Amino acid sequence: MNLVRLMIWKEFAHIRADRLSVRLMVLPVFGMLFILGYALTTEVKNIDIAAVDWSATPESRSLIESLRANRLFRWQSPSPTVDDARRRLDKGEIKAVLVVPPDFVRTLNTAEGAHVQLLVDGQDANSANVARGYLSAVISQWAMQRFVHGLKARGLRVESLVPVTVSPVILFNPMLKSTWYMVPALVVLLVTIITGLLSGLSIVKEKTAGTFEQLMVTPVEPHHVIVGKTIPYLLIGVAEICVFLALAVLWFRLPFRGNFFVLLLFGVVYMMSSLGIGILTSTIARSPQQVLFLVWFIMIFFILLSGFFIPIDNMPQWVRNIALINPIRYFMFAVREMFLKGSGIAELWRELLSMFAIGVTVFSAAVLLFHRRAK
Amino acid sequence: MKRRIIAIAAKELRHIMRDWQTLMVILFMPVVMMFLYGYALTMDLIEVPVLVEDPSLSQESSAIVRAIDATTLFRVIGSVRVASDPERIFKEQHVKVLFRFPPDFAAGLRSGAHGAGIQVLIDGSDPNTGTILRNAVESLVLKAALEVLGIERPEIVTVDQRVLYNQEQKSALYFVPGLMAILLLMISALLTSLAITREKELGTFEQLLVSPLRPGEIVLGKILPYLALAAIDGTLILLVGYASFGIRVAGSLSFLAAASVVYIFTSLAIGLLVSTVARNQQQAMLIVLPATMLPTIILSGFIFPLASLPIALRCISALVPATYFLEIIRGVILKGTGLAVLWQPLAVLGGIGILLVAVSVKKFKVQL
Repeated sequence: MNLVRLMIWKEFAHIRADRLSVRLMVLPVFGMLFILGYALTTEVKNIDIAAVDWSATPESRSLIESLRANRLFRWQSPSPTVDDARRRLDKGEIKAVLVVPPDFVRTLNTAEGAHVQLLVDGQDANSANVARGYLSAVISQWAMQRFVHGLKARGLRVESLVPVTVSPVILFNPMLKSTWYMVPALVVLLVTIITGLLSGLSIVKEKTAGTFEQLMVTPVEPHHVIVGKTIPYLLIGVAEICVFLALAVLWFRLPFRGNFFVLLLFGVVYMMSSLGIGILTSTIARSPQQVLFLVWFIMIFFILLSGFFIPIDNMPQWVRNIALINPIRYFMFAVREMFLKGSGIAELWRELLSMFAIGVTVFSAAVLLFHRRAK
Repeated sequence: MKRRIIAIAAKELRHIMRDWQTLMVILFMPVVMMFLYGYALTMDLIEVPVLVEDPSLSQESSAIVRAIDATTLFRVIGSVRVASDPERIFKEQHVKVLFRFPPDFAAGLRSGAHGAGIQVLIDGSDPNTGTILRNAVESLVLKAALEVLGIERPEIVTVDQRVLYNQEQKSALYFVPGLMAILLLMISALLTSLAITREKELGTFEQLLVSPLRPGEIVLGKILPYLALAAIDGTLILLVGYASFGIRVAGSLSFLAAASVVYIFTSLAIGLLVSTVARNQQQAMLIVLPATMLPTIILSGFIFPLASLPIALRCISALVPATYFLEIIRGVILKGTGLAVLWQPLAVLGGIGILLVAVSVKKFKVQL
């Protein structure tokens, strides 16, 4: 037990000694939380759009006016011709063009109805989809209003045209703020990166410095080394969860509806996986550079499949199958549910079990491999 | 001079080959990432699980539920008579939407006085999904109700939509150019800074400096192999993109290559600058990752559209070289535009590169 305590103390001494690395670890991480907290938004807004209004009638102006009342679009000066608009699209000045044809008013009152044309820059499929959906919805609303207005003017009954009213209510995140969704996920990512990378670098640093052999000829056993290399980073991870939680609540004004101790429990179980991956890579790798690449590679892979910004349910089946073994995914889901819905173990026990199973597997693989390498 | 540069380059190449694990990661990562990003990055929502609370149990309501289920957006996973605690349902059953029909739904639908009211509860945790669902439910339900009643509503204005540049709306088309920007930066900036700091760490850098080699030759020789590696990776990405996602370069290949060289030059300059600041490999990594990789991924418009960023962050993104490279490369690959349209970002990109090289050469000399 004494040896373990010494190893832990030694690791903390290492961490303290490497001032620059500590500073580099701490500052960018907080910087990241703040930048990412605001930047990571899948919300689409400020799409630059221009109109080509060939009709130039009160009707066409009213149609365009009805589209203005939303921050989804930023209306740029209108283009005189479609060719000119096309050039501006090519340059990237605007992302969408609404063309109102010259016969707009005349066709508006015919049976077939009027046609307007929408050109959308489809490079970013998500933004394009949102823009198209919104424009169509508002235009058909405008048309409906006009139609109803016309019927009323003629003294006709209009209720039968709107037989249902739909009242949507948004739960858990009523203002639909992206920070509420992204900041909990960021806490998960930052804890993952720090614990995974730091623990990964700790063993390989001893290898390159040649102190690993020295350590192995002392009475210290391999499992002492592992415990000594894990506990400090586990403690750092727990401390980080607390700090990030405080920042999320105090700075980003997130609600934390769950239980603090349940969050810590999930964090500790999760860190078995992240620390395990770190130890595993640093056992395999021979240089810090290799650790970095391996950890970076694994992280990118897992983060993408974690539901961080793309819902896992949207992915094809085979990708979803791979995502089943992704520990980040369970932790991220659990943390978000705790923050926003106040879920506890009663709702999240499946995630806890999965994380535990993955953590035990990864960690014992790391220990086994380390033992073999140490001998 | 040429011979000495080649000698240094050959030495660096040997370093690279000896560390074959890293080499494998560098060569295979782009391919794996492309497949993942190409297939996994679809923002389209499909088959969102939905629950229905229907105390009326009428023909009309079940016809509307069937219509909801028939869309690709929704999948009705069940129906309950009474949902007394909706929040609990959301927590336990992982549904995203709960449609609540009133008990007198059928009567309300036919009365015509106020219309029947349907309440729709939507899980807003994910704002993007929440917005899409909210926008979709109203017109969907209205259309289904009109169909049930057999009413035809006149179409007054039709919106003819045309999607340009990426007609099939494949997300791969958007992400492959972005991936190129990230991988080229990673290879050029990260690997060169590591290569130079490694020599510093081992003390062999001083040995190189006291040799007859001039500092410029050392730097050039160290950079060349990584330039080649970056070029190979870039080609690999384009080839895989073509073979598996059918992505063709719409514009001129030679312009694309020229722009890439400018970008690689700027990235190498970042690597050089970092290696003048960092004293060992770990520090180099810790500087490169948060200071260059993350802004490149997050603030360049790779995933998150630039227009949605707050103004302060848009100022930072104006300093990120990848922002300009992405504009160029997306322009060339997707729109087929060339120098005539893209000279501005290209000039800025080159300008940033020259500035960085000037600063790092100055720092380099001070260190000597």
